[in-house]
Amino acid sequence: MIRLKNIEKVYRTATVETLAINRINLDIARGEFLSIMGPSGCGKSTLLNIMGLLDEPSKGDIKIDDQDIRSFSDKKLANFRNEKLGFIFQSYHLINDLQVLDNVELPLLYRNSSAKERKALATEALEKVGLSNRLKHFPTQLSGGQRQRVAIARAIVGRPQIILADEPTGNLDSAMGNEIMEILINLNKNEGTTIVMVTHDESMAHKTHRLVRLFDGSQVQ
Amino acid sequence: MYKHLFKLIWNKRKQNILFLSEILISFLVVFAVFSYLTYYYKNYIKPLGFDYDRVWAVSYNSDQLSKNADSLNIFYTNLNKALKAMPEIEAISFSSSNYPYSSSFMSTGLTQGGKKFNQISDFNVGSDYQKVWNIKLIDGRWFSPEDLISKNKEIIINETFSKEMFGTAKTAGKLIGDFDDKRKFKIIGVVNDFKANGDFVPANNLMFSRLDTTNLKWASTLLIRVRETAGASFESKLYKFMATMMRSAVEIQHVDEMRDARNKETIIPMLLFIIVAGFLIINVALGLFGVLWYNINKRKGEIGLRRAIGASGISVSTQMVLESLILATISVLIGCFFAVQFPLLNVFDVASGVYLIAILLSVLFIYTLVIACSLYPGRQAAAIHPAIALHED
Repeated sequence: MIRLKNIEKVYRTATVETLAINRINLDIARGEFLSIMGPSGCGKSTLLNIMGLLDEPSKGDIKIDDQDIRSFSDKKLANFRNEKLGFIFQSYHLINDLQVLDNVELPLLYRNSSAKERKALATEALEKVGLSNRLKHFPTQLSGGQRQRVAIARAIVGRPQIILADEPTGNLDSAMGNEIMEILINLNKNEGTTIVMVTHDESMAHKTHRLVRLFDGSQVQ
Repeated sequence: MYKHLFKLIWNKRKQNILFLSEILISFLVVFAVFSYLTYYYKNYIKPLGFDYDRVWAVSYNSDQLSKNADSLNIFYTNLNKALKAMPEIEAISFSSSNYPYSSSFMSTGLTQGGKKFNQISDFNVGSDYQKVWNIKLIDGRWFSPEDLISKNKEIIINETFSKEMFGTAKTAGKLIGDFDDKRKFKIIGVVNDFKANGDFVPANNLMFSRLDTTNLKWASTLLIRVRETAGASFESKLYKFMATMMRSAVEIQHVDEMRDARNKETIIPMLLFIIVAGFLIINVALGLFGVLWYNINKRKGEIGLRRAIGASGISVSTQMVLESLILATISVLIGCFFAVQFPLLNVFDVASGVYLIAILLSVLFIYTLVIACSLYPGRQAAAIHPAIALHED
């Protein structure tokens, strides 16, 4: 599903060159639930951003769903992200000025879906995460766990094949974290969604199919 | 997408008040400027109604002249003959002091068919006044010596005045004024509208009446159309001749210079107004630019998220420009509500068309300003790197 070959990422300033990712090779199969662990600054989020096509590798090849995305134009890349990928962030990244339902509908706005279709799909996604009674609430009226569930609903509303989660439980207490983890496991099990999750939490990582450890930009496990 | 943007704008209405107010104020200022400019432009493009080139105005003091009407008449007849004999003079006419660009006004009023007409400019003129100014008649005739024996006072009016009284019907020969028959005025001719107060000032209703022996004592100006050959030496000769004849100091003014001076009375305040409004608009433009720039920096996380979930760079910049245009539309609609009151309530007695053109120009100007101010911030928003934006937030 995702194939990374000799991926390197170097950040350059006028005087300093920082190697964030060093020759990573990784194959992630369709329907796999993979977690990435490592200390802060080891390149986990950078790697996830490269897989999510939000950042470009300095070297190496990346293929998603057997497509070489390095030749894609900005518009084609945006469409690809919209159709194939869903994102979950540690800090939720909800738009506070929009109601829950509107936040969840966002990815569908870039697909020319009708308003009726958008509303139906967003309501369905919110039902899946147990928030069908919070459609008209604003994010600021929700708890952290509820916000993350809204973010999950937004990630799955477009029925992507891959979900990339960057520390989805990082801002939550353990009970809330477990709830979120349950939702992700169910998504992977029931819908066959491929999930790549960056986490600091060993217990969460052990609930996934495979664990990849990074240290100073290199894969150590 | 529009519904989504409306929802976003509505939910952020408090944050958008500054932007909305700036656009509304700019719209009203621009509307005032365009109303002003349209009004003057519409007046400017209307024909002048006379030819001022090579016309000199000789003002004199008639106190030293005979008070006897017959003696005065003989004096003016002789003066007229002596001047006409000068080869540099093409035509001459005596006039009351309110000739074009003179800053002197004489007006009268009358009631015709129950309708009151006030502020009618009243020009007392000599028989060759038409030749001096090259005034074109569109109906009837100019004054002739036979008019002196007419029982009604003959007048010549302008086209607009004629239309206001009788519509498109022929006016020459009609008696006007709700007086008894003897006191009615007889219209003997109609001339083109006559912009006597400057190129930018509208032609108002006017009537020419003839200077005759009864009112010759009021004549205080001699208008002379000179030939092209007339220069400074002739002016000096004319000055000496007139001063000797009038037994007092005289003043010779060139009407083209008087016209320039009158036009400056309109142009200078107009330029000052445009400069002040221009500075205000520049400030507003910088303000808009700043507000949009600030909004984009504040919304980096949202922009990063939109890029992550499927927005291309172009759709992000389009969204930023569209949001500005929607906000501008709200302000423009409020502004139009106020602006439309001017033609509806006939404020300042200006034609509705002037205000409608000004509204249209203001709307176009505001949209151009908003697009110009939002394009660059929109492009900057599109250039935001999603990974960095999401990480920073």
